[in-house]
Amino acid sequence: MKRIFLGEMKLNLKTTLLWSFVVGILGFVCTMMYKSMQGDMKAMADMFSNMGAFSDAFGMSTLSIATIEGFFATEVGTVHGLGGGMFAAILAIGILSKEEEGHTGEFLFSLPVSRIKVIAAKGICVFLSLIFFTIICALFYALGFVMLNEEVPVKELVIFMLMHFIMNVEVASICFALSSISGKNRMGLGIGIAMMFYVYDLIGRVVPSMKDYLFLGPYSYTNASEIFAGKEISKEALLVAAVVLLLGIVFAFFYYDKRDLAS
Amino acid sequence: MENVIEIKNLTKSYGKSRGVVDVSLKVKEGDIFGFLGPNGAGKSTTIRSMLGFLKYKQGEIKILGLDSVKDHEKIMENIGYMPSEAWFYPAMRVSEVIKYAADVRGGDYTKEAERICELLKVDTHKKIKELSLGNRKKVSIVCAMQHRPKVFIFDEPTSGLDPLIQKKFFGLINEYVKEGATCLLSTHVLSEVNKYCKNAAIMREGRLTMLDSPKIDDESFLKFYEDEEA
Repeated sequence: MKRIFLGEMKLNLKTTLLWSFVVGILGFVCTMMYKSMQGDMKAMADMFSNMGAFSDAFGMSTLSIATIEGFFATEVGTVHGLGGGMFAAILAIGILSKEEEGHTGEFLFSLPVSRIKVIAAKGICVFLSLIFFTIICALFYALGFVMLNEEVPVKELVIFMLMHFIMNVEVASICFALSSISGKNRMGLGIGIAMMFYVYDLIGRVVPSMKDYLFLGPYSYTNASEIFAGKEISKEALLVAAVVLLLGIVFAFFYYDKRDLAS
Repeated sequence: MENVIEIKNLTKSYGKSRGVVDVSLKVKEGDIFGFLGPNGAGKSTTIRSMLGFLKYKQGEIKILGLDSVKDHEKIMENIGYMPSEAWFYPAMRVSEVIKYAADVRGGDYTKEAERICELLKVDTHKKIKELSLGNRKKVSIVCAMQHRPKVFIFDEPTSGLDPLIQKKFFGLINEYVKEGATCLLSTHVLSEVNKYCKNAAIMREGRLTMLDSPKIDDESFLKFYEDEEA
């Protein structure tokens, strides 16, 4: 199992580093833009905070984008939320199915290792890759604050990264379950799922009647404006996340162990 | 142990499609068993059921006296399998694939792997994605043989190999069998069965028929295929 895990980590290293650096650098660049936009930001912030439901949707009514925290929450919150969700989905949705799509399962499963151990090794690989992704991005974001000579809001940044990590794991667990069913890498489906959750959250914040159901989506507890404004994170949303995560993993283990593998 | 492979009344279907029906088979220790049959007859389904790739509900498979479902890992420790298509992780080098297989098996088979690589002229520095089918199959042979298993299962092993490598491949099989190994050889090539196998069976439309002797002539052999087409 250890060898399969290490092999999987090696196979996914490039993808993990690429996504971590691209999303991290994008977030860093967004943060750095704050200084150049700071002058015009006051008027813009007033305008943005008075756009009703749209201001709510993007969190601009909660936190002023004229402040570094508000600017970070609005800009980097979107970049990291979308980037992280897509990375988690792409990584997890292909991790099991690629063995059948690439016909490498014939090699892997002819070795003395059970399917359960293979799933466990691959699941741990996804989990660790998401940890690396989170840490690398967090370092880039913290560097952004430092480069701007601003105090790093350590507590808020840690909560922000932690909530996004949980969201990434939740999205990954759904895609992991899907990967156990499919004999093909459904990358498009994975991206679609991440986008769907993002849009669900966005619409949920615009349409008043949907607000009560926001907690069902994984982006509900990652709202950067609420985190940086010190609002409490919805316990219901975290409970749903835990249930979805558990169901996804259990399903993947159960289903993959029982089904026929394509040649 | 007399029967290294023992299949009793195996039935496996894919939804409404036929896979194999009531297959029973015994392969004795030290045998090179020829497994013949037209495409889609059920040879690969039988093999894939033996290896645990396919889950079956009817029948029983025992390998080395162990239950193929319950003792899957233990059985695979003593099996060398070579699939009809040799696919590996494209970004890996040949040496990495061979080492990977050895590491998962938990042993150091460097000496044997080097010997087989030298014999088959395997370039271990190349990446898998740079290899032709024939060269990938050579890597597959190394992975199947390096740990000197007790049972070999080959699914159309010689397709894509040049005649010299084919000869060396059968030389290796004979060598291992002399040392006590057993081999199940699924193939379309009658001459291989005639030349190397001690016993043989043929599959048609998911059903298995034991042959009295592996030495059958071309016409009788082709008749099985013609019957299938008819």
